[in-house]
Amino acid sequence: MSHQAYPSHDPIKEPHSVSVKVLRLSQPSLVTQYPIDPPFSPPNTKSQPAPASLAYSGSNTNPDPFLLSPILNLPVSFGSAYVGETFSCTLCANNDLPPDAAKRIRDVRIEAEMKTPGLGGTQKLELGPANIHGALAGGVDLEPGGTLQKIVGFDLKEEGNHVLAVTVSYSEATETSGRTRTFRKLYQFICKASLIVRTKVSSLNSDTSNIKKWILEAQLENCSEDVIQLEKVVLDTEEGLGYHDCNWSSDGDKKPVLHPGEIEQVCFLVQEKGADNGPRLTADGRMIFGVLGIGWRGEMGCRGFLSTGKLGARVAVR
Amino acid sequence: MSEQPSSPAPEQGHRRNKPSITRSTRPRSSTKGPLDADNGLLTSPTASASQLSPSLQPPSRSSSANNTAQPRPPPSPTPQLGEARPKDFTFLLQPEIYHPLNVQNIPPAFRNSPKQPNSETPIDELLAKGHFRAAAIAAAQELTGSTINGTSIDPQDASRIFRLLYTRLACLTLIDATSLAAQEAKALEDLNDARRYIDDNTNEHLVPWELRVLHVRLQALGFGDPRRAVMSYHDLAREARDRIRKASLSHDNSARELWKSRLHELGIKVAGALIEMDDLSGAAHHLNSLRDRGDGKLALSKALLWLHLGDIGNAKLCASQCSEDTENVEKLILALCDMADSNYEAALQKWQEFDITVTDEMIGVNQAVCLIYLGRIQEGRNILEKLVDSGLSSHTLLFNLSTTYELCSERNRILKGRLTEKVANMEQSPFGWEKTNADFKL
Repeated sequence: MSHQAYPSHDPIKEPHSVSVKVLRLSQPSLVTQYPIDPPFSPPNTKSQPAPASLAYSGSNTNPDPFLLSPILNLPVSFGSAYVGETFSCTLCANNDLPPDAAKRIRDVRIEAEMKTPGLGGTQKLELGPANIHGALAGGVDLEPGGTLQKIVGFDLKEEGNHVLAVTVSYSEATETSGRTRTFRKLYQFICKASLIVRTKVSSLNSDTSNIKKWILEAQLENCSEDVIQLEKVVLDTEEGLGYHDCNWSSDGDKKPVLHPGEIEQVCFLVQEKGADNGPRLTADGRMIFGVLGIGWRGEMGCRGFLSTGKLGARVAVR
Repeated sequence: MSEQPSSPAPEQGHRRNKPSITRSTRPRSSTKGPLDADNGLLTSPTASASQLSPSLQPPSRSSSANNTAQPRPPPSPTPQLGEARPKDFTFLLQPEIYHPLNVQNIPPAFRNSPKQPNSETPIDELLAKGHFRAAAIAAAQELTGSTINGTSIDPQDASRIFRLLYTRLACLTLIDATSLAAQEAKALEDLNDARRYIDDNTNEHLVPWELRVLHVRLQALGFGDPRRAVMSYHDLAREARDRIRKASLSHDNSARELWKSRLHELGIKVAGALIEMDDLSGAAHHLNSLRDRGDGKLALSKALLWLHLGDIGNAKLCASQCSEDTENVEKLILALCDMADSNYEAALQKWQEFDITVTDEMIGVNQAVCLIYLGRIQEGRNILEKLVDSGLSSHTLLFNLSTTYELCSERNRILKGRLTEKVANMEQSPFGWEKTNADFKL
């Protein structure tokens, strides 16, 4: 995530007493360890692993010699942002004045907006958690070294450039005077596609009944750089239609794991609930089935969900 | 063979059709020349000393004769059939194998500490005090004969050489220099080479087990081929199984238990190697084929793997399989599941329910991580600082605390610098004393 300070409207040239720091809160990760036998241990005995080779010390909860350990690391880097994920980020406003400073920092507020590549423009983000003292909107007084931490969440729906804009305002008071100062920082990142969905509809001719049936097939390709596990694939059908799920959840199969570049093929049998109350057609003679929703999980439970546009088929005139 | 008539019989198809060649190689092997004298049976000490004189060396051997640290030239690569002679490991004593270790990535608080050992501290003391960088240097110096007192190592002293080499490579992995270790481990080449590494008399592998196990990972890293590790662990497992069988036959219980535990460990390591090559489903399948040893470790391992993959449902199933004695493991898995579900309030409550009388660094660190995700960074920071104050200093603890400092202040370098001083003042222990800049995100 590249960031830049935004030329603020603040006429005062001296440096700000408050700084803002951000960290993308992707899922914390399990720490890996490589337990080894301690050097210089007596030969042909089974010794405890060298303590320094374990991820953490003094515990009977360590599954050594297994690679993964239960201790969690905060995110190491920004990583990649993908469509379908929730972007979560922590914003910290800090009073960086020395403890003996004459100035007092009061009424610190953080605001955040997300600028998306589409026509939507800019969206104001809700910040959590609510302040412990008082209402959500109120500012907070910060002692020297103190921190105001906020967390924002944003569902990534578009590919392309996103800009997180963080505005911090505070009032700086001395014994005799006070003034309000504001600054703004921009953090830019690119959101990439995570899953490519290709669909195909073919009609299933039934000779005896009037009830129409279709096969809806979809190829789900993992185009991200991470391993994902598909959790669910559901069809949200229009009124008058029903479907039969032909995939893993219907027969209790294991959820498919998709490595980068791998494809899973899913299939649904869509049919009219009755010949009389079938779904309406659109003006150009298409029948709309509904939308396909795909949910997945990534490392340490990182959640993703996306839905397709309306899927349908051209219907021959009866 | 030499008694055969000089006219070759054409019907004896297995014989070479040029007996003159066979005859000429035969007598040469039985002649004890200066190059073949290394088993020392027929040569007097003075004779072997004279071998060092370059004038007696054929020009092709002059390179090995230049190295005065070696009392003997290396044996010819092809020992004669049935001839048992001690193996020579001169090829592991070459100074160019061992890289110099950089001190630039050590924070000054450690570099300039009075706790830094002097160069005469014995290796076992260095290890006990957690001076792994110093131990790695000392091991390489002893191997290459460049120690201060200058006693050079006997290239046939397999047990000493491999103990030092294991110390060297193991310590490199402990100081975040695993890639260097992988480079240096290449000098061992193929540990399955029986002519190099199997003792002719006892038929025992001369390389200690722990080095063979470590070599598997380092070799896979060195060649950039993680699949190789899976294969090599299976090779070792075959040998362990054979040892279990032999120990059972000879009713040697302690040996049987030793090899059983080694076999189990190899099984777990295969799962780790599969995870490293991103074959998570393969690793899960493999873990399912292993037997739990009643300590809850396998259930926890499986759960961690499912969590890593993001399958919280299966991780919870592992928690439900925990027995009553491993109640803590069950709670631990469920707390991690809550975190994977981004349900940090519930997770925090579970971490807080753990017995605080038992210090477990992991529980403290995870609780702090939870608090940071809940927007309570100040409380998280307090917990992490208390853990450091209590003498703990795992990489994860220091990394998370340094990240917290980065979030809490523009002047985080000062806070991190103070942290390095605090850690450098800690007791020296086998947990490791010296840390690197990366541990503090410096």
